[in-house]
Amino acid sequence: MIRYIPLAAIFGIIWCFVHGTFSLVSFIFGLLIGLLAIRPFRFLYRPEMNFRLFSPPNRIVSIIRYFMVLIKEIIKANIAVAKIVTKPKINISPGIIAVPIRCKTDLSITGIANTITLTPGTITVDISDDHSTLYVHCIDASDPAAICASIRDDLEKYVLEAFE
Amino acid sequence: MSGISVFINMIMNILSDIVLLIGLIFVFLGMLGLIRLPDVYNRLHTTAKIGTLGAFGVMLSILMRAGFAPIGIKAIAVGLFLLLTAPIAAHMITRAAHRHGVGLCKESIIDEYGEARER
Repeated sequence: MIRYIPLAAIFGIIWCFVHGTFSLVSFIFGLLIGLLAIRPFRFLYRPEMNFRLFSPPNRIVSIIRYFMVLIKEIIKANIAVAKIVTKPKINISPGIIAVPIRCKTDLSITGIANTITLTPGTITVDISDDHSTLYVHCIDASDPAAICASIRDDLEKYVLEAFE
Repeated sequence: MSGISVFINMIMNILSDIVLLIGLIFVFLGMLGLIRLPDVYNRLHTTAKIGTLGAFGVMLSILMRAGFAPIGIKAIAVGLFLLLTAPIAAHMITRAAHRHGVGLCKESIIDEYGEARER
């Protein structure tokens, strides 16, 4: 149980945000609730993997750069979808394409999948059994090779730098 | 209360109104897309992206209006949770729909996921 204390401390900080007040009482309350919440789901955690995220100091810089790219892509995505929605005649050619990925760890695969969903015209549908291919639904799938190239060069580079 | 703090307060209120308006426009466009686009996969494009940014804009507007009071911090926590969970919900819905045999719309040109699952 003692090795789940750092995870429960993260829950405590999140509880401070949800409760809206940063005080020792609400932190300890969140920590205790966190311990109770972790107990039924502890088979999901692998403690030896969880705290590698902040080990190298220059990792912070690439995480910040990743989030800046993410915000830029989210705004671009919204404008692109808004354009499609407001056109008088909807003229789209959607489809599901297979995109090979280079990410290996669970954390970076989760990162790239969420990033793909939040960026222009693409939603992650599923991952292949050997964790090497993502299936991506595109709102404009007329050129699958170009979509694969844009995901590899524009998004995956930053995810690899930040999480792997 | 000096003049400067009143001025900053006014600027923040105007910014908060602008962000609220942008968020509401995006929520409106998302709902419009939900009605107009053809099938479940295309409709999720609007709810997963536009809905997220619209709701996040509304939450950001609350933060600007209330400052770092408890209500503002709660609002930004809700916004960050939405940003984290909306893609996962969209991912699970598309996957479940495809596995239940919901077909793609007739304009679709390619389905490599269906081909891979048949093999």
